[in-house]
Amino acid sequence: MQSLLAEIAPAVQPAYRQASVAMHAMLLGSVREEFDRAAARRAEENAALRALFADAAATLGDAGLRERLASAARTADVSLRVPDLDAANLTLRALLIELHAHVETLAGPEARRLEAAIWRELAASTERRKLSLSPF
Amino acid sequence: MARPPGVVPECRAVSELERRLAAYLAARLPGASRVEVSDLVRIHGGASRETSRFVLRFERDGERVERRLILRRDPPGSLIETDRRVEFAAYRAFRGSAVPVPEALWLEEDAAPLDHPFFVMEELTGLESSFQALLAPPFLDQRAKLGRRKWQILGEIAKADPEKLGLVGLMPPVALDQCWQRELAYWERVLDEDELEPQPITRAVIRWLRRNPPPPAQKLGVVHADYRTGNFLFDAEGEIHAILDWEMAHLGDPLEDLAWGINPVWQWARDGLAGGLLPKAEAIRIWEASSGLVADPAALHWWELFSCVKGQGIWVSGGREYQAGANHDPVLGLSAWMMGNAQDRAALVLLGHAP
Repeated sequence: MQSLLAEIAPAVQPAYRQASVAMHAMLLGSVREEFDRAAARRAEENAALRALFADAAATLGDAGLRERLASAARTADVSLRVPDLDAANLTLRALLIELHAHVETLAGPEARRLEAAIWRELAASTERRKLSLSPF
Repeated sequence: MARPPGVVPECRAVSELERRLAAYLAARLPGASRVEVSDLVRIHGGASRETSRFVLRFERDGERVERRLILRRDPPGSLIETDRRVEFAAYRAFRGSAVPVPEALWLEEDAAPLDHPFFVMEELTGLESSFQALLAPPFLDQRAKLGRRKWQILGEIAKADPEKLGLVGLMPPVALDQCWQRELAYWERVLDEDELEPQPITRAVIRWLRRNPPPPAQKLGVVHADYRTGNFLFDAEGEIHAILDWEMAHLGDPLEDLAWGINPVWQWARDGLAGGLLPKAEAIRIWEASSGLVADPAALHWWELFSCVKGQGIWVSGGREYQAGANHDPVLGLSAWMMGNAQDRAALVLLGHAP
């Protein structure tokens, strides 16, 4: 990445191509950063979501949603390959949206506790994905 | 067929484009002869249109004329789908006003002349636009001056009368109490159509926005819609010479622009300064003084959160184009990845849920 940014990009013309090479260098740097954590962060998040769903399934009154949460909580990652972990993550995160929207409509301290737990997980999810190049 | 020595296919394509552009412009320059286009070079100029600079030369009344111009051509895929007619009209409407813009010259919506619709405008030379330039001399010390000018000009845009500018009709009007709903519905639809993975934070923000609608807009204004550092041309003395990239311009609540400009994701130096230029409170104060409008804190907070939805819409639609191979510009892939996460983090801060 440093070689692309510091040595190759400055020698490329015109400026548009130079910026494109620099952008590719930044992409490569981000891929390197992600390579190290790709499986770990996905496995960690999938486990956190299943635990959250198990917690919610034990307290929610909506029978249909409760059953789907409990069912999702019982699933496990089929392998540590990133595509497999991603497929599970997409399903779990879609269900998280549904759970979050449902909990927002409920009153009472238990609903607020669950809502706070969902926000904590969402905050953690941004930390897992953050790139060192990020401006914010 | 054998390739002529020293000529790569890309150079031949540029040469062909120069020839076709010259033919197009020759038909639009009455009395001109020996019309030539040269030095056509692609530059960065927003991710939604392919931008190139070129030199136009011709003879008229015995005099040789030379103009440096910009070609903005629709690409196959981009960060956002925008109406070039609106962008062209916005440049023309603000020309000669308190809002500096380059001169827009020709608009062509037929794909035949250059394979894609395009427009041509004046090039302003010797100026800078990148936020990276602000991180080092000679621009580093001009950030506060640029910031004051940036939000003063945005106030002028907010103050402008869309009717007098001739933009009502071209830009669909909206009732003052419906501005927020129209924009939110638009960007929610973009997310519905383009997201590559679930967006639980953005979806939660959308629900919050619907539960907590803002007050009606104080006035129906022209919203630039991408008013941020990087979309204006400035010099080393801290003066702004042109506001660019009007491709998403529309009529709406002027607070939309103010909120977008102070979106935390534009803090490239990570110094907490709005747009990398000024403290947020100062930017708001300057905008209020210039526009004559009030930035009600609750209303502005709504639009700041809306900016996170809109930002995410831009990042995911660019990411979809990149993944599908419709556009190979690496900025689309990196934006979808890095800026999408930054946008989520900004939303968490605004909602009081930051880690």
